Order: sequence, then structure tokens, then C-alpha cells
Amino acid sequence: MTDATVNFDGPHGPKPKPIFSGRNIFIYGTLAIVSAYYLLPLYIMIITSLKDMDQIRGGNAFELPIGPDFEAWVKAWSSACTGLNCDGLSRGFWNSFQILVPSVVISILIASVNGYALANWPFRWSNIFFTILIFGAFIPYQVMIYPIVIILRELGLYTKLTGLVMVHSIFGMPILTLLFRNYFTSVPEELFKAARVDGAGFWGIYFKIMVPMSLPIFVVAIILQVTGIWNDFLFGVIYTKAENYPMTVQLNNIVNSVQGTKEYNVNMAATILTGLVPLVVYFISGKLFVRGIAAGAVKG
Amino acid sequence: MKKELESLFIYSLVLALVSKIAIGLGLGKWAIKKFDLTPWMIEGLPWLFIALMAVCVYLLSRAGMNSKGTAQKGYSGYIIGWAIAALLCFVLWDFSDAFADLDIEFEFGESSLLLRFANYVGHGLLLLVTGLFAFGNILGLQTAAIFAIFTAAVVVIAQTREEDEPAGKIEKIIAQNIVAKIAAVPMIMTALGVFVGCTIWTIFYSFTKSGLLPKANFVGLDQYERLWDTSRWIISIKNLAIYGVCSMILSLLIGFILAALLDQKIRFENTFRTILLYPFALSFIVTGLVWQWILNPEFGIQKIVRDLGFESFTFDPLYNPDIVIFGILIAGLWQGTGLIMCLMLAGLRGIDEDIWKAARVDGIPMWKTYLKIVIPMMRPVFITTLVLIASGIVRVYDLVVAQTNGGPGISSEVPAKYVYDYMFGAQNLGQGFAASTVMLLAVLVIIIPWAYLEFGGRRQND
Repeated sequence: MTDATVNFDGPHGPKPKPIFSGRNIFIYGTLAIVSAYYLLPLYIMIITSLKDMDQIRGGNAFELPIGPDFEAWVKAWSSACTGLNCDGLSRGFWNSFQILVPSVVISILIASVNGYALANWPFRWSNIFFTILIFGAFIPYQVMIYPIVIILRELGLYTKLTGLVMVHSIFGMPILTLLFRNYFTSVPEELFKAARVDGAGFWGIYFKIMVPMSLPIFVVAIILQVTGIWNDFLFGVIYTKAENYPMTVQLNNIVNSVQGTKEYNVNMAATILTGLVPLVVYFISGKLFVRGIAAGAVKG
Repeated sequence: MKKELESLFIYSLVLALVSKIAIGLGLGKWAIKKFDLTPWMIEGLPWLFIALMAVCVYLLSRAGMNSKGTAQKGYSGYIIGWAIAALLCFVLWDFSDAFADLDIEFEFGESSLLLRFANYVGHGLLLLVTGLFAFGNILGLQTAAIFAIFTAAVVVIAQTREEDEPAGKIEKIIAQNIVAKIAAVPMIMTALGVFVGCTIWTIFYSFTKSGLLPKANFVGLDQYERLWDTSRWIISIKNLAIYGVCSMILSLLIGFILAALLDQKIRFENTFRTILLYPFALSFIVTGLVWQWILNPEFGIQKIVRDLGFESFTFDPLYNPDIVIFGILIAGLWQGTGLIMCLMLAGLRGIDEDIWKAARVDGIPMWKTYLKIVIPMMRPVFITTLVLIASGIVRVYDLVVAQTNGGPGISSEVPAKYVYDYMFGAQNLGQGFAASTVMLLAVLVIIIPWAYLEFGGRRQND
């Protein structure tokens, strides 16, 4: 709640505090040190990727690169090897992209309709299903991995990208459904009732009232899913095979491969490249990202 | 009479589905072996219930022989819908192999957009219809039969209900709020088919001797005994315990302190928050790899401190079996504290400004206000955060894979990695299932009391 503004002449508000009070130095000092610590890995990643191997062997990890050298980036993107494939991270990037787009669209479509049905059209036992769904978000994935392998194999989708899209859509459902259900519950009921009186049905209200009113929550859901799916490793490594590996799996294979000499600059360049998409999403989205991650904890 | 018939119809429908699923899960074969039954006794069960459904429909039609059928008009849509469902089941099952071959490979330009779209729709439908019962052709036929009989039931109801008669059970199921029910089918399928079904399947098979493939030959608790006799599992559990306790305490502590600092109405709050939270946007793989590099003794922190003149300084957590888990903890904390901070900050913001004012008027020092008033008030936030952290900790997998891959030796193994390695690496499914069941139990121990508190409390508020 914002404080009510008080209008009267002369100085008002609390007594101005000195800028360099001990309290301020303590607060800003601590925050600055902690921030430096948090930024350190990013800094090291970037400078290491811009060095050549000679400098890495000779110097330490903190010193600046002699001349920025983007060769490691080029190599990481287009010619780093994982096993027999030597076409770099680009393959993983496109795989991740092809997994990401349909997964995000499908999971949000399903979850928003689910949330809408739960919030505005509850039916018998709908809350029981919802509770099970939320419990599912906490169950360790390890318990469900293998039966899903069998189901995907039966459907002929095991090791294919489509199968992974399905898995992401399923496991994105609990948190997204919660997000949408809570949002739709907060939409005034009068609106819904008025639309009902005017003869709008399930889909009519959904498309004409709920969706246009809840664009911010759709953006939050997109942010949540893009970062979540892009960062996934477990499902990628289980439900796809070598040429379909998403970027995270490929990155791990490049960096932790036991063959050949370790090229730390290429490894770090590859690491940044993989982290780039969620980072960009994060820095662009700002407060919406916070809202997304808090969705799991702050219940309506 | 009509009421009882409708109930009977619904119960036989449910039993038919349950027996289908049970057979699909492999319970049928097990029962045949165990009790020395002839196969048709088990495989015939769903058919028996389907037949019972058919009989109910017939009797229903007899019972309402002379009625006018005022419900007829609105029901034609349902009749067509269920009939299509029956047809789809029958057709899709026969052609499901053909459908599966039409996988979308996303090679742009190879197939037209329309074709790819059509493939998606096909797969989606396939999933919808087969998701729960995808265990073979005969079961597909049964599903089709169930849908067909359901169609017949709708026809009968439409033909026989009088206007002043209240809607029966079947009618309530098919007619009331049907769009919402259909729209929620993916959710119901996920909740029951994946979350409940798959979990039960895994628990069930954890009592078997499954090796390369899941087989229903029961060995009781042997897998569990073996699990707790394996030193690798013991190490995994110990590591998880150390990691879990440290990470809970430290991330709560650091998260709260940072949130309290950010809550002092400071400038650049957004900048600080953005910096502290950005690691959370990165994956565990990226986190693990970065910290693997920073903690590398030849180039990272150890080397830097040694260059400063401390020649004997050693800091190589990732290469020392005794402290390797703390090396992982450092990375884990770096990635996760930002989230905790945000949750705590939201909690602090939720505390009434007047409480601060009152405390100040009473001359209570700031730290005491936090300790004695604010933290007790934030108890629900703390509990929720703890549950979030705890359920995340049990899943720790990618971080370890990226940072140490369980090494040196097996000193940084964690349960999730144990499960994966036994399921997909060592081809010892039974061990994997048993280990994952233990993980599930660990999570349930945390979740159930919390859910009880949470939902029990909420019911009182309503």
C-alpha cells in the first residue's frame, strides 16, 4: 500500500538522513560485496571465453584477456565435438529451439484452459484432480521416468523430439495450472456472470473475456516455461538420443568429454551460449520473472 | 429401478476401466501365475463388465418403454460425439503404428507446414485417446466398446426421460458442464495417468527382479535390502543429507539477510535484486560448469591465492573426496539463494508498516524486532520456502552431473543420479525403482504434514 500523500507547506516527511551514515555504509557495502560475488562467475565465464589457451595456461582465471579473441565462440558454436558429431553447439541450439516452441505453446494452452475450467466451471472432483496435479509437482521425477519411457515407446515417440515436447507439456502442467487458476479466480465473478447471462459459453468466455484480460499472466507463464524448458537436462538426456539432444545435454557432453585436451575457453564460450537465452529472457522480463518464480510459493 | 440401473451401469463402467488398467500394468499376468488361473478368467474381466454395461442399457430401455423422450432434442450432439469417440478408438488403435511413423522431424522444408500441423493433431488425438490405456490392441477394442455402449446409453436416456423427471446419474455425468470436463481431460489424464499411474507402476515394479526390462517376478523387499547394502547408495544418502541440511540453513539465512537488507528502502533496489537473482535463470548445468572452472585448482581460486604469495594454500573441493559435497553446495547456493531472497522479500513486504512503527515507538532495537516479531510473523513464508527448497534438494541431479559427475570416485553421488545410472546405465531397473521409491517416501514425509497444515488451515478459513 502506498502512503497517502500529505499536502502542507514547509518541510515534511521524515528527517533527512546523512548519506554516509554507518548504517548506509553497512547496507550498501554488504550488498555491493555480495553482488560482486554473484557477478564473479559471469565475469570469469566471459573473460575466459575471450582468452586463447596460451594465456589460460599461463595466467590466472581473473585477469583480463590480452586481446579479445572470439575464436573460442566460433568454435563452440560450429565445430566443438561431442562424440562423433563435430558441428558444435548449433545443433543443440536448434534442437532446444524446436523443443521449446511447441512445448511452450502446448503447455500454456492446456494449462490455461485447465485453470479456467477449475476456476470458473468446477465440476465434481475437479479439486481432487487439481490436488493430485499439485502433488505431482513435488513428486520426484525419478519415480515417473521409466513408465513414461514405456508409454513413449508404445506411441513410437521415444528418442524423438515430439516425445520430449509431450513430456515437457505434462510436467509443466502443475505449476502453470496453479498460476492460471489463481489468476482466473481473482477475475471478478460479476464479469463471468454477465457474460453467462449474455449467452456466452465455455469457449466464448475464455477467448473473449479471460484471455484478453489475462495477457500479463500469459507472459509470466511464457517466461516461466521458456527458462524452465531451456534449462532442462534430465528429460533431455532420458527421452532423446544423440542427434536430438537439447543444448544443455550437448553442452555437458562437450565440456565433460574425456577425450582430447580440455579447451577451457571453448568450454566457457559454450557455457555462455547455453545460458544466453534464459539470461536474455531474464534481463528483458525483469519483474515479471520474479512474479513467475514466486507463483509456486505464493498461493492464492 | 431406473436409479439402480444407472448406478450399476456406472459402477460396471468404472470396474471395466480399472480392470483394463490393472491388466495393462501387468497385474493380470501376475495374478494368473500366482493363483494358477486360466488366462481368459483375467482377460475376460473387462469384457464381463462391458457386457454388464450393455445389459444395464437394455434394461434401462425396457424400464422407460412408454415414455415420451423429451430429452431427445438436446442430446443429439452427445450421441454423435460419443459415437465418433468409439470410432476413433477403434480406428486409431489399428493405425497407431502407422501414426507413430509419421513423426515430426522438424526438418524445415521437407514437409509442408500443414502436414506438420496435421501430424501434431494426430499425435495429440492419439495421446488423448490412448494415454491411459496404451497397452495393446485388445484393450483398444474394449475402449471402443465402452464408448459404443455409452452412446447407446445416451440414446436410451434421450428416448425415455420424461420432462418432469429429474436428471439421472448418467445424464449428470454426460450433460452437466460437459465442455469443462472435456477441456480438463488433459489435466485428468496427467493427474491420474502420469502422476498417480506411473508412480504406482514404479512402486509396484520395485518389488520385482526387473533387470534390463520390467518383469513381474516378485522378490519382496530384496531390492530394498540390496539398496541399503550398497555403499554407493549410503554415500548418496549421506551426501544428500549434508547438502540438504546445509543448503536449507544457509539459503534461508542468506536469503533472509539479503531480503532484510533490500527491504531497508534503499536506492538501486532493483539493480541489486536483478544481480542477486540472475543465477536462478541459469540452468544447473551452466552453474555446475562455471563453478567447476572457478574451483579448478590449476587455474581458479587456489591458483590466484597462491599467486598472491600463499604457496601452500589449498582449496580444491572438487578433487577432495571429503569435502566435494561442499564444492557442490557453493554452486547450489549461488544458483538458488536469489529465489529464496525474493520469496523472503515478498514476505517482508507483506508485513504491516504499523508493526515497525509500533516497535520503533517502544524503542525496540531493529535486530530484536526482526528476531522476535517479524520472523515469527513470517512463519508461513518460511514453511513454504522450506518445502520448496526441500523438494528441490531431493531432485539434485544436473548440478552434480555437470560439476563432478559423482567423482572423485563415488564421493559426490546423489540419489537421483543413482536412480538414473541404475535404470539407464547399469540396466538394473529393479534397483532404480527401489531407489526412486525411497526418494518418493522422503518427499512424502516432507509434503504430507505440510499439505495437511496448509489445506487443513485453509478449510477452517473458508
